[in-house]
Amino acid sequence: MRALSNHDASSIADAVQAAARARAEGRIPAFSGGGTDLLQQVKDGTDPANVIINLRSVDEAREIEESAGGISIGGLATLTQVMDDAAVRARLPALAQSAESVGTPQIRNVATIAGNMTQRPWCWYYRNGFHCFKSGGEECFSVNGENGQHAIFGGGPSFIVHPSDIAPVLVAFEAVFQLAGPDGEREVPAAEFFVLPRVDPVNENVLGESEMLARILVPSPALNTVSSYHKVMDRAAWTHAEIGVATVIQRDGAAVTDARVVLSGVAPIPWRLRAVEEFLTGRQITAEVAREAGEMSVEDAQPLAKNRHKLPMTSTAVERAVIGLAAG
Amino acid sequence: MTQPTRIGLEPLQTIGNDTPRIDAVERVTGAAQYTRDFKLPGMVYARVLRSPHPHARILSIDVSAALALPGVLDVITNETSPIVWGAGCVSGGRQYNDPIKDATIHRRYIFNNPVRCVGDSVAAVAATDRNIAEQALELIEVEYEELPFVLEPEEALADDAPRIWPEGNMCPDTRNEFAPMTSRIGDVEAGFAEADRVFEQRYETGFVHNAQMEPRCALATWEGDKLTLYTPSQGISNCRHDTARDLGLQDHQVRIVSQYMGGGFGNKNQNQDADLIAAELSRRLDRPVMLEYSRREDWLGVHGRWPTVQEYRVGVRNDGTVTAMQMRGYSGMGPYRKNSGGISGMDYYACPNRLREIYPVYTNRTTSGNFRAPSDPHGVYGVESIMDDIAYEMGIDPVEFALRNMRRPTEEAPFTNYSLEEVITTGAEQFDWQARRRVQPGSDEGPLKRGAGFSFMMFRAGLGTSSAVVRVDSQRRYTLYVGVTDIGPGAKTTLGMIAAEALGVPLSQVEVVWGDTDRTPYSVGESGSRTTIMTGYAVVQAAENLKQQIADRGMPGGADVLIGTATPVPSTDGLIRQCFAAHFVEVEVDTGTGTTRVLKYTAVHESGRIINPTTARDQIRGAAIQGIGQALHEDLLYDSRNGQPLSPGYYRGRHLTHQDIPDIDVTFIEVDDGYGPFGAKTAGESGIILAPAAVANAVANAAGKRMRSLPITRDKLLEEVSA
Repeated sequence: MRALSNHDASSIADAVQAAARARAEGRIPAFSGGGTDLLQQVKDGTDPANVIINLRSVDEAREIEESAGGISIGGLATLTQVMDDAAVRARLPALAQSAESVGTPQIRNVATIAGNMTQRPWCWYYRNGFHCFKSGGEECFSVNGENGQHAIFGGGPSFIVHPSDIAPVLVAFEAVFQLAGPDGEREVPAAEFFVLPRVDPVNENVLGESEMLARILVPSPALNTVSSYHKVMDRAAWTHAEIGVATVIQRDGAAVTDARVVLSGVAPIPWRLRAVEEFLTGRQITAEVAREAGEMSVEDAQPLAKNRHKLPMTSTAVERAVIGLAAG
Repeated sequence: MTQPTRIGLEPLQTIGNDTPRIDAVERVTGAAQYTRDFKLPGMVYARVLRSPHPHARILSIDVSAALALPGVLDVITNETSPIVWGAGCVSGGRQYNDPIKDATIHRRYIFNNPVRCVGDSVAAVAATDRNIAEQALELIEVEYEELPFVLEPEEALADDAPRIWPEGNMCPDTRNEFAPMTSRIGDVEAGFAEADRVFEQRYETGFVHNAQMEPRCALATWEGDKLTLYTPSQGISNCRHDTARDLGLQDHQVRIVSQYMGGGFGNKNQNQDADLIAAELSRRLDRPVMLEYSRREDWLGVHGRWPTVQEYRVGVRNDGTVTAMQMRGYSGMGPYRKNSGGISGMDYYACPNRLREIYPVYTNRTTSGNFRAPSDPHGVYGVESIMDDIAYEMGIDPVEFALRNMRRPTEEAPFTNYSLEEVITTGAEQFDWQARRRVQPGSDEGPLKRGAGFSFMMFRAGLGTSSAVVRVDSQRRYTLYVGVTDIGPGAKTTLGMIAAEALGVPLSQVEVVWGDTDRTPYSVGESGSRTTIMTGYAVVQAAENLKQQIADRGMPGGADVLIGTATPVPSTDGLIRQCFAAHFVEVEVDTGTGTTRVLKYTAVHESGRIINPTTARDQIRGAAIQGIGQALHEDLLYDSRNGQPLSPGYYRGRHLTHQDIPDIDVTFIEVDDGYGPFGAKTAGESGIILAPAAVANAVANAAGKRMRSLPITRDKLLEEVSA
């Protein structure tokens, strides 16, 4: 393992300043919330960081607060906090479900929601040290290689899938991300936080070099909103989504008045199914409507040679997620 | 979890009672010292540089920059340390045979040139701390000439395939000849001529890593010309002997200490290159050297179960009698042959005409070797897949088909006892087989489909030599000395119970000394399911010897002690001794997402008399869990373009979590056949043999589609059900 230095940050402002200083010195900083994945990546040599900005010493940005306008979640709130929070469970059930589906209790107890948003892809090429787009190279090895786990939407030139279970839920709830950097704060809608590889083949989000995700604001859903996170995994726990479906539906009586359907595990960013959302709007959810939504969900898919199985899997998962929210 | 059901025998005084492990407290409180917990004065740390290429010749190695790094003490390579690792590659895969090791033409060194797989060892560094050692690895400059590589065993046999060894890619047999392993019984062509129908099918199974918790490590230290190795070993006697051979020492010059270890499942038999590398660095530096493998190194630098291709041809008469069985198999051994490459399972059948040819083949994947029942689970999956299909095709209940065709004792080949029919019929009844299986496979409506599968087996339970020593002092304290380690099954406790029973004293009066070759006699090693029956038999004999001395001389007084010893050479009087089992599995296959869940699992075993039901039950359950993982999850993916492994380690192994594990009901039918210690038979490996076959058959019964490749992952399943 290469030589590292550690900076115990005293505040968010201190953390981003320390990162900026390290950059100025030609070193590579990384923010460590829970460190559950970052530290292993550093040990494996797949993350080049040599300055760890430790955020566990930061007292702020840890609380979850409810107000009339919505729920504010500190970036350093742990996933256990998110899934156990009474307001989250009552008002944003899909968020609690998605947090609860991540990793194991040990991971959730220290992993932060900001870290979950910014975790790097789990593509086996990237994680095994291939010099791909994600590690600064000029190639995606999956395109003509082992691409069974890779993107069926939004791929190119990299075909990673975004690993976060929680990100599609936050996109579906139209959350706003507050970013803190050495030059101050800015706000970005969740959907605009994540970027496709055709925009930026290296980074999965818009964070600047010394910028971090400080806070997430989830506006209060309208009355008569229901939501869920439906996750298909390769085993019952402790793995990323083969596909995750975040569904947020607003109803007037039995009819859907607004819908958000956002997928995890099938695209380089949380993937909105706009056609499905439009199809559901104005309709009453029936078995037939759910089935059609499922079929429609893969109409724009562009599978690679070894991930065609993701099409029926996606259709089924979307159908089940939608029927699970039928008025009843 | 339900407690095990036990049929047949009543518990004895100690044996047969559920007994906690005698070291349970040390283990759960952290008091137990594992190899990595030891810190010796002056100890330094070693790391291994490994090949990034699947096949390459090393043209030069420049270690000067590494040696110049402050804190680096030594760097060794093939040039400085051309040490043959005898157990690392053996002709015929005969891992316990000294003459064959001497004659083996394909010598594996602790550092190899050419390197023959990604992860093959190139050099090692010793430094004052771990980080410096790792940094030094990056400073070693190796000039490689990349060579063409081959990953698939059938491709490796093509005339124009890249040659991994000068003679080609067939692994040599014990005579260093290149013929397939062939077993011929009767006249297979006559058998096919007799058949009304002939079925053919091809199956594939993947590489499965042992995935034990503790990666390989070794701590070496010398006093004069005596080496002490702290190392996790499944057989300290074998490890000592092999290490001494490899280093040109006498056995007594090597001491192996393995008190606690984090599992093995066949991954820690004999000695490992880590032991030799640590010993060599320690000798050169005259300091204790700790070498630790990372999880990735353990995956790519040790070994797992060999991947196979199996092509079957089976002839059947219309009455359901099997008349001929033929199999041609290919086993991918990686670039070194650590074990046979066997593919078993056909031998459970009585069919008089059988031909089996297995090609053990070198490839540029990681090495294959021992994994719990090395030749069995993948073979039984293949055999039972085609037999299950034949049964359904012919409208016969697979259980009925097995009862009609399975091997039974004959006058020419008698058994000590035979319970195969009883384990099958008991299991079928407990599992409610008739209600759970679908007479028409795949007939459930809707995407969630249930079905049931079964498989059956017998496994060797023959006896062999091992040693034990029992001492009693004037305080009537008994001390049992056995050269075993405890890789998980609870050997210490089991052997203590056998001693207590044989001595007629409570277990609390017996102290067990184990895991140190300087303190204990020879033991056969924790492999081949042999410890309980072989070392256990020696314990009984040593106790008898001690009791005779006490009868002759009375109990010792003062500082005196009496010592009973035994190294018996037991036999089964020419009878075949086997343990028997049948497993029944119900699954639910989601044909919408490709997910398979195991809903119910029933295992019925006859392993003779059960010494400790607590640990015996856990052996069966743990093994079944591994087998389910092999059936549904585990593999090691390679990129065929560059020969790189893509999924070493736990993450993509997707080993079962507790939430994935169904209730596994274990029943023991207990029999004392008059052989073995109190009638005990083998158990440790037997539980894994049946799970892949039973799960695959259950998936076929549920989905109505036969999955011809393990693991049965969602991509394969969805492709099949949507075809």
